[in-house]
Amino acid sequence: MHRKSGGIGHAYQFRSADSAMHHLPAAGKLTLWFFLSIGAIISRDPWALGVLLLLNGATYYLSRLKPIDFFQDIRFFLIQMAIVVGLYMIRQGVDGFFIGMRISIQILLFFLPGAIFLRTTPSSQLMRGLRRILPFSIAFAILTSFRFVPYFAREFHEIALIQRLRGARVALRQCFNPFNWQDIFSCIMIPLIIRAIKTANESALSAEARGFGGQVPRRVENNHLVQ
Amino acid sequence: MNKLTKAKFTLREALYLGFCATFIILARVLLRLKLNVPGHAMFFVMFFILLGRGCVPKMGAASLVGLIAGVLSTLMGLGKGPLLILKFICPGLVVDLGAAFYPRLTSSYVGCIIVGGIASFTRFAAFFLIERFMGMETGIIWQKAILDSTLTVIFGCLGSAMVPAVVRRLKANKLIS
Repeated sequence: MHRKSGGIGHAYQFRSADSAMHHLPAAGKLTLWFFLSIGAIISRDPWALGVLLLLNGATYYLSRLKPIDFFQDIRFFLIQMAIVVGLYMIRQGVDGFFIGMRISIQILLFFLPGAIFLRTTPSSQLMRGLRRILPFSIAFAILTSFRFVPYFAREFHEIALIQRLRGARVALRQCFNPFNWQDIFSCIMIPLIIRAIKTANESALSAEARGFGGQVPRRVENNHLVQ
Repeated sequence: MNKLTKAKFTLREALYLGFCATFIILARVLLRLKLNVPGHAMFFVMFFILLGRGCVPKMGAASLVGLIAGVLSTLMGLGKGPLLILKFICPGLVVDLGAAFYPRLTSSYVGCIIVGGIASFTRFAAFFLIERFMGMETGIIWQKAILDSTLTVIFGCLGSAMVPAVVRRLKANKLIS
């Protein structure tokens, strides 16, 4: 579930480092992100795009992110770039190459500051920000869901293991065969969904017992999940 | 639309919808390591969004699953920044809208497949807006959306088609009302 420290990891995933960008408050990073993204929308000339590319590169450097991180973050856009340039070249010939490249680089520059933000901002800092923006009940549901990700990952592995011991065709290799999808749904998805309903009931009861119900009115008659 | 579908969520319903979003995230995390078929994630996105609406038949249930899944994806660095939230909310809104017009949506195979297909296509709403801002020609945006979305829509329809059977089973076992 979680990337090991120092490992390669995935695109846009937080990378721990002692850099100026990491120490910058989230509001400062958001402001930088906003201006760099707006710059990507309004820039049309090659020199302006070049300056923006350099600024983004400098921010990556200041964030002490590795070239592999940069490559992972832009990999998706390289594929998109090939599609956009290809479509423009089909329509407009060689001239389409430059227009397609300009638009692709603009799209890349629009998303890159967001990638830097996610790379340098830990989840805890993001969640603190969320609590200020969202209503308490929704923020509570989001935080609880976040906390339960490892729990349900464990549940999923345990259910899958037990069902495989019982002879169900639910091993990862067997998942690619559509004839096994019935087994996957009956043996893994249904128990997992039932587990989720039970856990929601238990967690809600526990939260209400701690006084959480003060903000969310209890509507037992309207409750669709059977207790 | 009756009073029941307009009612606010109880805590356990909100938590259950949150858990549906958790399952979307889990599926994304588990599958991105092993499978390289474009659009495969939409299978589970549509399945759990529609399932959330099926288990909690209230207006906004699917959108809430989408919102939470989008926020969780952003928190876990699973996508291209907060615009990702839009890519989850749009399918949720389409499902809620579909269910508002046809309340028995999650029990109907045809309804689920149609709404699932439309909802899957809306994932490109965010990209559509950005590309329009960048000055890309509308014709090329649509061509690119169709190229990108074919597999996504197919997976979305497949995921949606699984929902009525699961909802009926949960109802038969009196796990949902």
